[in-house]
Amino acid sequence: MNARHRLPFQAGAISVLAFGVCILSVYGSLMTGGRSDIRLSDLFAASTNGAVILDIRLPRTLVAACLGVNLGLSGLILQALTRNPLSSPSILGINQGAALGLTIGVIFPSVGALVGLMPLAAIGALVAGFMTFSIAGVFTGRIVSLRLILGGVAVGAFASAMVRFSFTLEDDLARQVLRWTLGNISDVRWHHVQSLFVWSLGGTVATLAMAHRLNLMALGEAQASGLGADPRLTLMIGALMSACLTGTAVFVAGPIAFAGLVVPHMCRFCLGPDHRILVPATALGGACLLMAADAASKWLTSPVELPVGVVVAMIGAPYFLYQTLFSKGAI
Amino acid sequence: MRDILIFCALTVTVVLIAIWSLSAGAVSIPWYVIGNTLFDIEGPKQEFIVFHSRLPRTLLALLTGGALALSGVTVQALLRNPLASPKIIGINSGAALAVCLLVLVLPSAGLKWLPVAALSGGLLAAALVTGSADFGRFSSGRLALIGIAVGFLCDAGVDFILATSADAQFSAPLIWLTGSLWARGWTHVQLVWPWLVILASFVLVLSFRVDLIQFGDSTATSLGVAVRPLRLILMGLAAALAAISVSVVGVLGFVGLMAPHMARSIIGGTHSRIMPCAVLIGMGLVTLADATGRAIAPPIEVSAGIVTALFGAPFFVFIMIQSGKRSQV
Repeated sequence: MNARHRLPFQAGAISVLAFGVCILSVYGSLMTGGRSDIRLSDLFAASTNGAVILDIRLPRTLVAACLGVNLGLSGLILQALTRNPLSSPSILGINQGAALGLTIGVIFPSVGALVGLMPLAAIGALVAGFMTFSIAGVFTGRIVSLRLILGGVAVGAFASAMVRFSFTLEDDLARQVLRWTLGNISDVRWHHVQSLFVWSLGGTVATLAMAHRLNLMALGEAQASGLGADPRLTLMIGALMSACLTGTAVFVAGPIAFAGLVVPHMCRFCLGPDHRILVPATALGGACLLMAADAASKWLTSPVELPVGVVVAMIGAPYFLYQTLFSKGAI
Repeated sequence: MRDILIFCALTVTVVLIAIWSLSAGAVSIPWYVIGNTLFDIEGPKQEFIVFHSRLPRTLLALLTGGALALSGVTVQALLRNPLASPKIIGINSGAALAVCLLVLVLPSAGLKWLPVAALSGGLLAAALVTGSADFGRFSSGRLALIGIAVGFLCDAGVDFILATSADAQFSAPLIWLTGSLWARGWTHVQLVWPWLVILASFVLVLSFRVDLIQFGDSTATSLGVAVRPLRLILMGLAAALAAISVSVVGVLGFVGLMAPHMARSIIGGTHSRIMPCAVLIGMGLVTLADATGRAIAPPIEVSAGIVTALFGAPFFVFIMIQSGKRSQV
């Protein structure tokens, strides 16, 4: 992104549009359902529908929103740290690493009980991210973008091969893990919301506090340190935060690919490269995308529900292909 | 002289691994019994197991290992990047998608059509990737990215099919795709060996040209190489080699990535030396992986693809970090 980047839309139009999209996706996610659609009028008629809304639909919508926030922010941080628009948790292998960490916890229940599944997912994400970063030379200060992508693909391939290996161990386990690796949130309840919500909120605040540092990273590491922000510190905090956000998201819903790629792109296209605006916009946009995908997952093949991760992948993968085919980037 | 020694040592290693592969498994067979059986010498024999199960498996492992390694060397040379592999040009994901589509559209088609579907899917994906990278401004980075994107797209399709349909129907084809040599027999060997040998010999003949293309497009052109046709031909050969092996044994990850590296560090130099060396290493690796998978916990078999990923990935990360310190590619 260069400094002469012009905003294609007016700020007022953008906020109206964003508000509209947000309301629509909340409505879609809350109202569509496998068994019966609930209209807006039904929502306020306190009848049996109240239970459906409160116990099933509402936690699910909230989880979708939090997932979108986590994945979008994680992608934004990674793109800023590596100065590469194609970085995202799924392409750098971080998603798959988190999945591997979680799978280890499921296979060895003693380890899972000792450490806890959510920390295991975050540790897996962190290890995978660390490996990809060291392959790409992030720690030596010279990032080679093609190396970053190829290294991420290799790390991801290893982690998903290991997850697939767990399928062959036991049929029961295989079904559990497979269903979960597709990115499924059809059976979330309130206790999932609590833990995820804390992380999303904390992540948004922390990323917002880091936004200025991320802006400086975009200038290059030499300039960043010249302006008083140690790039290594930014790198460490950012990588840690990105791993935690991805890990918690993967813990609840399984590895959802491409949300971390698409949302920051869209926001950067509409709002320009300033991270102080991009952070809240990405959080909002990610929440909208995932809620809309959640609605689509219930509606597309009703009465059978699709996992939400599949819907996001069906949107994200063509977008990624389009991006690589027509981008005029450095690669 | 050093080259001859290296090749002799590699050949001996591959033969030893192959013998171990014949002996390891649920019923372990001592080496003299294998000798007796193979060369029809008097003494205790194990004809059924050796001839019907282990010999075709071992031969298939040798064939596909060599093919994957050769494909890997070619792809890495064409992309001028040591992190590239046949997977990068979308072959694995294309094959998986084609297999899932076949099961979805024609559930009555038996397992014997799976190789055909996998082969056509892999070749189609590779053609799509190479075609769209060749269309317009070519750069090796662009080719790799398009390949990754097409791979993700195919994976998304596979996920969609898996999520929308009954689970049981797909478990057999998926297990078949995870890179295992289990239940492969003489029919598979007969099906693939002529093609693999022909394609491999083409690549080996073109190995001198590969050296030239590695200098970069403009240098190669000024040396009198028609870069674009040569690149398309080599890419087609590499894709066909990898797709054929995927179509019979499924995805054996990291072989196409590891073998070229080891070959380069053992022997180095021009591709006319690296390629045969990589073929031998690939043969050894896949056979070793298959035998290890059988020997770890008999009678349960760990599929060869898992073994190659398990041992290949840490090795790969180590090599990459090392090479990243020395030079930026």
